[in-house]
Amino acid sequence: MKGLMKNNFYATLPSAKALAIIMVLTGAFITAVISQTLLISYIVLGIIGFAEIAVSIVKEEFSSKWGKYKLTLPVRRAQIIKSQFINQLIWMSVGTLFAITVTALSWLLHGCPYDSPFDIVTTFVLGISMSFFMGAVFFPLFYLNGEERGHVFISLSLVCAFIFCYTIVSLINYLIEPGFNNRLLGNVILLAASAMAYILSYPLTVRIFRRREY
Amino acid sequence: MEHILELEHISKTYPKSNFTLSNLSFSLPYGTILGFVGENGAGKTTTIGCILNTIAKDSGTVKLFGKEMQDNDTDIREKIGVVYDGDNFPGFWTAKQLSQVMNGFYDRWDNTLFQKYLADFELPENQKIKHFSRGMSMKLAIAAALSHHPKLLILDEATSGLDPIMRDEMLDVFLDFVQEENHSILLSSHITSDLEKVADYIAFIHNGKLILTAPKDDLIYHYAVLRCKESQFQSIDRKDILAFRKRDFQIDVLVPDGKEAAKKYRDIVSDHVSIDEIMLLLVKGEQL
Repeated sequence: MKGLMKNNFYATLPSAKALAIIMVLTGAFITAVISQTLLISYIVLGIIGFAEIAVSIVKEEFSSKWGKYKLTLPVRRAQIIKSQFINQLIWMSVGTLFAITVTALSWLLHGCPYDSPFDIVTTFVLGISMSFFMGAVFFPLFYLNGEERGHVFISLSLVCAFIFCYTIVSLINYLIEPGFNNRLLGNVILLAASAMAYILSYPLTVRIFRRREY
Repeated sequence: MEHILELEHISKTYPKSNFTLSNLSFSLPYGTILGFVGENGAGKTTTIGCILNTIAKDSGTVKLFGKEMQDNDTDIREKIGVVYDGDNFPGFWTAKQLSQVMNGFYDRWDNTLFQKYLADFELPENQKIKHFSRGMSMKLAIAAALSHHPKLLILDEATSGLDPIMRDEMLDVFLDFVQEENHSILLSSHITSDLEKVADYIAFIHNGKLILTAPKDDLIYHYAVLRCKESQFQSIDRKDILAFRKRDFQIDVLVPDGKEAAKKYRDIVSDHVSIDEIMLLLVKGEQL
């Protein structure tokens, strides 16, 4: 597992470095100006962005024979998949950390950047949930349908993540009366649904990957 | 004789491409090199896939170190080094990063040995692999395959695309490796001259079928090709013919015992035969 985690780290690092530079620069700008829209975009896109680059390394591994070579190393197929899910969680956390830092700085400099402080939580939940859904869709789809369509599956999983979140939020708004407790419940439902999808996606991906031939 | 690798009746069919690996059986004794020869698409990589479990075989058994390897048998994979043809590792890594990653995979990863190979093969440690030439990439893959002290090396076209000097260097490394009695190499290649230099046994595969397995010395010193005319060909005992190939004014006949054939058919020219020619006769020729 240590080797797999190192492998994922080195694979994600170059893109993560580039994204981190962009995040620092845009973060500085967003901290300086007062814009709720920019801050919402920064939080959501930052979390999804790091999650996306962690996912895309899986595709890159098959541009060389490394994806196949890994199967000859002393690791189990389930461990390979587990490491990829964990890797996505790690980089999602990095994105979340960037978002928390910029939100905190913005709050310190200009006061609460939202109409209500609870909206900050909602924005974070949205970013994290979309990332979970994206991973939950991408991994099984990628191993089921082959490596050559990796780019398509990343886009498709992002679209699916958006549709899932939009549907759940719409349903919550339709079914639950407005109010603080209900907004809290809505966030919990969205986060729980996406986390559940992510958790269930793992055994499904392992099952698919065990049958794949390279 | 004990075998490090045993394949019994391995079959695998790809319905889409209509390719079938059928009933393949061979074994690799400890301390030897087996050259696995066949033209492109003959089934060499599929066979290796079945051995390494990257491909699910339809039937048959593969035993590595006397045991069938399952996904959970990481201890068996710990003892195997693999080199594939082409880019084995992601191009954005350096050799140094590769060593760090491999160190996480193998309990017995030996960074000192890896550094020695890097120095011997004149490979830069901090240059990205994508900037390596093909020869350098293959050398790096061989260095990585050897640096966790494996007992079995499985090399799939590991020398193809290398210039003759580099190939010779690599073959010396392989010969060094099998100096240890419990080390063996399965060397898949279509470069028969390499196998003539290092292999102890040769297995020929064609269209997914194993057509001949024999000790290399038998092939080189006992097998022969008879150059005969049509009338002479008719006089040859069918039992002596392994394969024959008609050319413009001559028929080449592959026989398993050249000395015996020379005595028996005194009016027919008998020549020594190279592995290359044996492969050509077996693949392109006809069998009775």
